[in-house]
Amino acid sequence: MIVLRLLLLVFLQAFLLRDVSPLGEWTRPEWTLWALLLIPPQASSFLKLGLGFAMGLALDIALGSYGQHMVAGTVLGGLLPAIHRLFAPREGYEVSDHPILRDMGSSWLVGLTFTAALAYHLTLMLVSNWYWHLIPGALLPSLSSAAFTTLCCLVLHLMVYAPDRRKSST
Amino acid sequence: MRNLWLLLQRNAFTLAFIALMAVSLSVLLRNDGAARSSWFQQTGSVSYMIDKQRHGWSNYLRLAEQNAELAEENADLRSRLLSMDLAVEWQEDTVRHWTVRSGMLIKGPDGKPRSSSLATPGRDGGIETGMGVLSGGAAFGTVEEIGEAHCRILTLMHTGTSWSCRIGRLGPVASLGWDGVDMGLLQLRDVPRHVQAQRGDTVFSSGYDLRFPPDVIMGTVFDVERQSGADFMSVTVVPAADFTASRHLEFLVHQADSERTALSSTDLRP
Repeated sequence: MIVLRLLLLVFLQAFLLRDVSPLGEWTRPEWTLWALLLIPPQASSFLKLGLGFAMGLALDIALGSYGQHMVAGTVLGGLLPAIHRLFAPREGYEVSDHPILRDMGSSWLVGLTFTAALAYHLTLMLVSNWYWHLIPGALLPSLSSAAFTTLCCLVLHLMVYAPDRRKSST
Repeated sequence: MRNLWLLLQRNAFTLAFIALMAVSLSVLLRNDGAARSSWFQQTGSVSYMIDKQRHGWSNYLRLAEQNAELAEENADLRSRLLSMDLAVEWQEDTVRHWTVRSGMLIKGPDGKPRSSSLATPGRDGGIETGMGVLSGGAAFGTVEEIGEAHCRILTLMHTGTSWSCRIGRLGPVASLGWDGVDMGLLQLRDVPRHVQAQRGDTVFSSGYDLRFPPDVIMGTVFDVERQSGADFMSVTVVPAADFTASRHLEFLVHQADSERTALSSTDLRP
């Protein structure tokens, strides 16, 4: 399921949502991150790392970006266990916890999504610019893009896991 | 081995992360020109710094060796400088009572073993028998016979005479002569075997034969040959004067020549 979701989002980002960027480089969303963030926090660290790498590889193949997303995805996959630990509740994650609004709450979701998006965009910015003198100019666009990616992920989240479903299900 | 395996197991995630990062970066560097050039720039500057540091240490460790090389080079340059100082033309020496009179060569040596040369002036120009003759500041010969307006010169290129010389200003005295074979080469005889001589050394007059003052340039050493078992070595000398193109001559006059001649020819009796 996770892999299917990942492939679907890669396809969407590469072929349909590629040009959804209202303010140009200031708002360049990474839709596929949402699939990675839906990995349960209790999952194996190797799974997170492997899926991060696979997501980057798939994006590079689909977008023709020659390794930039692979590096950023691997960095995010490597950091994701630590990010999960950082945002873990005091008593730890329950076995049945899913990384969704209903289970984890809004602050957890927003904080985790923004942190992950920030790590991804900063890495992407570094490997896109490479030269030190170009990095200060690219820092603010990557920050705003991380915020925009968070917004997009939340929108997707609300579309798929709408709060009223919880009510209807309960 | 077991400990190594445990260590690998403990750090498996980190190792996996490093491996995937290496794969990703290698793909990126292989395909992204900007990334590759930046990478090479960064690694180039780092390797330059490392190499510079290593070179500095290497130089520091080789200091003694370099010092020895510099000392050797310094000695060689000093030696060359000394040779240049020595190889100067003889100048008029009024302090030691030597003056010159100018003349002109009419007939030079023709390469035959006993050919004479002719020059002007003769007796009317104050020329006397036994005077030394220079050409371009270098030894040319000696006046053998004089006429009213001309004189006959016995040059260095004559097999019937020899000249008192030394290698360098302080070398032992030896006899310079010509074997009549090659007009461009003279032979320095009776040079002791222990004398330090090498190609390019300057040969000066010793002044002992009274025809030339000391330190007149006779030529330069061309070849040194030490034969086994011999007490003396044979030295070949290239004359400093150009016998094929000389024209202007200087006749050396010693102001107390008559006194010197008289004293040198008087037999001392106890």
